[in-house]
Amino acid sequence: MVNKMAWRNLWRRKRRTLITSFTVAFGTFLSISLTAMGDYAYTNIINRSTTMGFGHITIEPMGYNDTPGLDKKITDVESIRNFVLQIPEVKSALVRIVGQAMFASAIKNIGGTFIAIDPAKENSERNIFISSIIEGFLFEETDGRGVVIGTKMAKKLNLRIGKKLIYTVTDINGEIVSEITRVTGIFKTGVDEVDGSMVLLPIDRIRATLGYKKDEATIVPIYTNDQRKTGKVRNVINRMIENPEVEVLTWNETQPETAGFITIDRGMNYLIQILLGLLIAAGILNTMLMNVLERTREFGIMMAVGMAPARLVRLILTESIWIGLVGLIFGVMITIPCYVYMSNIGIDFSGFYEEGSDVGGVLFDLVIKFRLYWESAVAILCGVFVLTIAAGLYPAVRSGRMPPVESLKNL
Amino acid sequence: MKALNEVSIRIHSGDFATLCGPSGSGKTTTLNLIGALDIPTSGKIFLEDKDLSTLSRTELSTIRRNRIGFVFQAYNLVPVLTAYENAEFVLALQNVQKKERQDRVMAILKEVGLEGMENRRPDELSGGQQQRVAIARAVVSEPAIILADEPTANVDSDTADSLLDLMEKLNREKEVTFLFSTHDQRVINRAKRIIRMRDGKLAS
Repeated sequence: MVNKMAWRNLWRRKRRTLITSFTVAFGTFLSISLTAMGDYAYTNIINRSTTMGFGHITIEPMGYNDTPGLDKKITDVESIRNFVLQIPEVKSALVRIVGQAMFASAIKNIGGTFIAIDPAKENSERNIFISSIIEGFLFEETDGRGVVIGTKMAKKLNLRIGKKLIYTVTDINGEIVSEITRVTGIFKTGVDEVDGSMVLLPIDRIRATLGYKKDEATIVPIYTNDQRKTGKVRNVINRMIENPEVEVLTWNETQPETAGFITIDRGMNYLIQILLGLLIAAGILNTMLMNVLERTREFGIMMAVGMAPARLVRLILTESIWIGLVGLIFGVMITIPCYVYMSNIGIDFSGFYEEGSDVGGVLFDLVIKFRLYWESAVAILCGVFVLTIAAGLYPAVRSGRMPPVESLKNL
Repeated sequence: MKALNEVSIRIHSGDFATLCGPSGSGKTTTLNLIGALDIPTSGKIFLEDKDLSTLSRTELSTIRRNRIGFVFQAYNLVPVLTAYENAEFVLALQNVQKKERQDRVMAILKEVGLEGMENRRPDELSGGQQQRVAIARAVVSEPAIILADEPTANVDSDTADSLLDLMEKLNREKEVTFLFSTHDQRVINRAKRIIRMRDGKLAS
């Protein structure tokens, strides 16, 4: 009976109910849009940042993240890699050596960072440098003398495909050693800092140079099928690997600038949505208060014939929930076409930028798209539901508290 | 100034009584107290041996739902409910089973002459028809007493007479106890018992 009465009461004031419902609908639309935009952008940034070298999760020597150095290494890396690949959420695991070196050509030398890889196991999906090769190709041998450099480094050192590059590192014995390589490929990520300092080298060649053993490396980057499961997978790996000389870090810890940017941006997003929610709640509260104040005598009669105050409170709350539900349904209806367009096509802002935009050295997609995770959708729906109940609470309690004899005096 | 002063009344089962007196004499206050809508500052009110003056708001609500029926002067009905739904309102609050509600409501609507109008909303009924629905709602729950505050005030004389005929019939055939509060001489003339009030006291 309460549900039926509440539903019918809403439509006694059609215009008021529709205006309030559309407020909820528009708020729902904005909330879904902001969240979906954020979910897409953050996932995009995170996944791109993992292709810069360290993956979603990194197994590395204890203390390496704070003070990286080529003297810190992990042993038995292939076993660790194979072990990790058994975890269902792990899409890929690689073995890399990462370190600092001086890179020299005939005219100049500059400092930079190298990532030593096994080209047979790498691919463009896991490695942004490979996917960004604009000239030449990735070297094929793990112990060859090929090297892939960025466009800015090529320009600084006046290098092109086939030219010699010498790199100098400190080996595990503390000796300074150098090797000659030839440029096989040049990449361009669009981030000057990256294009001017990052280099790809063959892993077995570096092992020989540094004095590493065959099964040693500095990091095992791991790629999950869903960046949201990073924490869970890290915990599983921690339980599997009981080695005090090794630590397992997530991308938040290996990419703190990126993580910080996402945290701040997400915080701003939440703040905007809270303010939006307050506006919507104010609208519902106003409508419900008017509905209650106009019907004081009617409530008096209902209580006089025996309706308990608690039931009356439930009636008003139910009216509030109905308004929220109607608004939510309208909101979903107006959001769906927009979401379909934005998730498939999006809005391309790349025309506004000559080069790419980056966050902490991570290039992010200039095509704005939507992606809404189910947990975000549930959170929005629950949020709207809670909001409508909260907004209806005061008018409901107010109606139940008035003594029937006072209510009956109203006309 | 006291709204009521040393008022002592006993209403018997089957009474067809009326409180009458000028405006401000305390009729509505007396009705509100008997109807468990208000609590006396001092004194006691007994309904079937239960002292209403000691009960909580929730307990008074329960008493009103189960033992007291009301017919008001105007705006008696819930606007969004049909005649049928208004009549069954109290039975629904009492959690009576749907089938039993249906049987009792249809019977009482027939009794009050509204058969065939079950699906009409209050704005589709005349003033007299609305009062009949209110009477049906009050009677169907089989209360100990029905309190009617100026039930004929908003209707024309013919309608008032037919409403009084109905209530007399219910009193006579079903022994429904009625207590009116009224200025209407027609009601006073039909009452079996008249309780006169003036300035918050019983007048002789």
